[in-house]
Amino acid sequence: MKALTANRLTDGEVVFWKDGAWVERFADAQLWSDDDAQAVEAEAQGKSQGTTVVDVYLIDLVESEGLWAPLSYRERIRALGPTNHPHHGKQAEGGAVIEALQHASGAARSTGRVNLIKRK
Amino acid sequence: MYQYDTIDKEMLADRSAEFRGQVARRLSGELTEDQFKRLRLMNGLYLQLHAYMLRVAIPYGSLNPTQLRKLAWIGRTYDKGYGHFTTRTNLQFHWIKLKDAPDILDHLASVDMHAIQTSGNCIRNTTTDPYAGATAEEVDDPRVWAEAIRQWSTFHPEFTFLPRKFKIAITAAPKDRTAARVHDIGLVLKRARDGALGFEVIVGGGMGRTPHIGPTIREFLPVNRLLSYLEAILRVYNRHGRRDNIYKARIKILVAALGKDEFARQVEAEWAKIGEAVDLPDTELARIRGAFAPLGFETLPERSEAFETAKASTPAFARFARNNVKPHKKSGYGIVEISLKAIGETPGDATSDQMEVVADLAERFGQGDIRVTHEQNLVLPHVKLDDLPAVWAGLEAAGLATPNINLVSDIIACPGLDYCALANARAIPIAQHIAEKFRDQDRAEQVGELKIKISGCINACGHHHVGHIGILGVDKKGEEFYQLTLGGSGAEDAAVGSMLGPALPYEKVADAVDTLVDVYLRERKDGERFLDTFRRTGVAPFKEAVYADAH
Amino acid sequence: MPTLIEIRDGVAKTVADAFTHVADDEDMATGDVILSLARFQSDGDRLLSEGRRLGVRLKSDEQVEALAYDLPRLTLVALEFPKHLDGRAYSNARLLRERFGFKGEVRAVGDVLREQAPWMIRVGFDAYEPADGSSANEWQAAARRYRHAYQRAADDRPVAFEERA
Repeated sequence: MKALTANRLTDGEVVFWKDGAWVERFADAQLWSDDDAQAVEAEAQGKSQGTTVVDVYLIDLVESEGLWAPLSYRERIRALGPTNHPHHGKQAEGGAVIEALQHASGAARSTGRVNLIKRK
Repeated sequence: MYQYDTIDKEMLADRSAEFRGQVARRLSGELTEDQFKRLRLMNGLYLQLHAYMLRVAIPYGSLNPTQLRKLAWIGRTYDKGYGHFTTRTNLQFHWIKLKDAPDILDHLASVDMHAIQTSGNCIRNTTTDPYAGATAEEVDDPRVWAEAIRQWSTFHPEFTFLPRKFKIAITAAPKDRTAARVHDIGLVLKRARDGALGFEVIVGGGMGRTPHIGPTIREFLPVNRLLSYLEAILRVYNRHGRRDNIYKARIKILVAALGKDEFARQVEAEWAKIGEAVDLPDTELARIRGAFAPLGFETLPERSEAFETAKASTPAFARFARNNVKPHKKSGYGIVEISLKAIGETPGDATSDQMEVVADLAERFGQGDIRVTHEQNLVLPHVKLDDLPAVWAGLEAAGLATPNINLVSDIIACPGLDYCALANARAIPIAQHIAEKFRDQDRAEQVGELKIKISGCINACGHHHVGHIGILGVDKKGEEFYQLTLGGSGAEDAAVGSMLGPALPYEKVADAVDTLVDVYLRERKDGERFLDTFRRTGVAPFKEAVYADAH
Repeated sequence: MPTLIEIRDGVAKTVADAFTHVADDEDMATGDVILSLARFQSDGDRLLSEGRRLGVRLKSDEQVEALAYDLPRLTLVALEFPKHLDGRAYSNARLLRERFGFKGEVRAVGDVLREQAPWMIRVGFDAYEPADGSSANEWQAAARRYRHAYQRAADDRPVAFEERA
């Protein structure tokens, strides 16, 4: 599975794509199966929104406690917040998806981000 | 301390106004992210994992209480009530909004502060001895020259687009608290036999992917020729430093490629042509020197009864005095180090409340002088021994009296993967786990001086190469691993650490450090520091113990 | 043809460019031309004897020292910014003015952005071919961005320690 992420221009907040808009919670993110062409379309659309978001890329997901979580550790930290301040960032809100993210294991770099870095 | 005059203030105001315009152009879409990124970085504004990060310059690590209170206020108003002191003696706010950044720069400018040249390929903030003006070890006050460099390097028209970033350190004491030998330029102030002041000039030290201990290219540079000599070094670098590969662009690569003698020859040839025009006139040097004139110290006896009594009656205070109070050049005074390494907390973090406590104490007891160290601690350089019990009580109440300066839990750590977009692995929790192992202060004191430095990636913001124990976070297929090095030093006996063995997984690092310390305690001879023992025994006994499980 | 902006005595204006850039693989143009260092070294004497005015365009890895003996014959030197982060041309410009006393035009070409104006002016540039579509008014504003300068450079503005004296 995949999701689309970016940082919001005005405040740097981590955001996820949902049906043509950007949402703050990973729990609300739109998920696509790996071969879904809509993911790539959404990515292209996101990248055209230069005054709304920056660094748009697709992330790979892994199953965790029956839910989906970002596969790479880095993306889980982005979706949660810093591990040294449990009350800072999105994790402060709690909930099943947050917990699933906190318990997720699995390790790999997100291909979307690797491509982003390569292009630079 | 140096006071900004109208010229200094107008420079900041002009910069702030320029940045406000640039942010507006970005938000309106007139500037693309690629175009804007370079401009915001020139003002220390990074986009990190969770938000923007603003790196505020603290020139040569010197602050007054008004400035520290303003930083506290900014932390409370625009961040989450704290700030993070860095190994460049700057302060980073980690939760900044782009739309607030122009206002923050205005607030900073109102107390003579800014974020100028805290990023980008330009001359960055100069590091100097946090004990400057307070230690008897120094031959002269290095801040005079650090301020001269601040002005010379600010908006230097020729050196704003160097091959790579450029960092200068100045120390005037034989005991180096600035890591001068691992800077692009390290300047060691010395006095010649005839009394003249001059700099030993070290060029081409550095950390990152290829650590180098910088060689000395000139043994004695008359102090009043400093700026022209720096100009010669920077010009040779600007023209000949590599620009084809970001990892080979620092001056250390150029110096190593040319050899130090050839590099020195080119600098001397350029310097001869530059002449004296860019050197500061004596009148300006005198003006700057006047700003750092010795403070009005009282004549006090060597021994303070209040201090001795408090030590005898309060063991915790005695421990603090033993570890965090250093000798002052004036009798009856001490230099107080404030550890930002409370056990279990984030190294270098201070809450807004804590910053205000330090500001108040500096005002009441410390002649309004506050320093930031490159080891991410704060210093009150001038405190009467008589006042130490009160200062300690104030610090203690704010959670700032951790008595661990230079001890195993006084760990340098970069923000790492918890915040930084470049990081491969977390650094902060590793520091926290190690510190927990040495929560017992008796054991920590028994171990003695041990400098642990942790970086979350090869850029080495956490100075891992020069840690007695260095820890480097690496990414193995998306998983956090840590490469340990031993025997590094950033002090006057500078050395790059050598690799211990294969990288360790996250859960094993704190235990491995514990094991290393046990080996040291077993092997050490009369009064040796960890570093001394390692240098005598070599890596073998340490390696054997840490990787024993693997055999 | 790119816009050419001149800043003389602190006043920026758009001017008609009398010169034509001629690349090494192009046929020679008529009139006043700007050539690469190599082409100037092979064709310069002949073109000068025809009464033309010449400029030389230096790449960022070429050094002004190579022009030292030719400068009196040149009307302008164009210094190239392959990207705006390549700062070698700042050193070249400063040396042209300070070390070689060049009084002709020093022109910034390539990835030239108005953000660079304050630095370019101080090291001795006086003509600009902006790559960002910026206007003379915008260059004027950028050029006056900073009321003071801390260090000596190739311009003659009084620096901070002189203002204070």
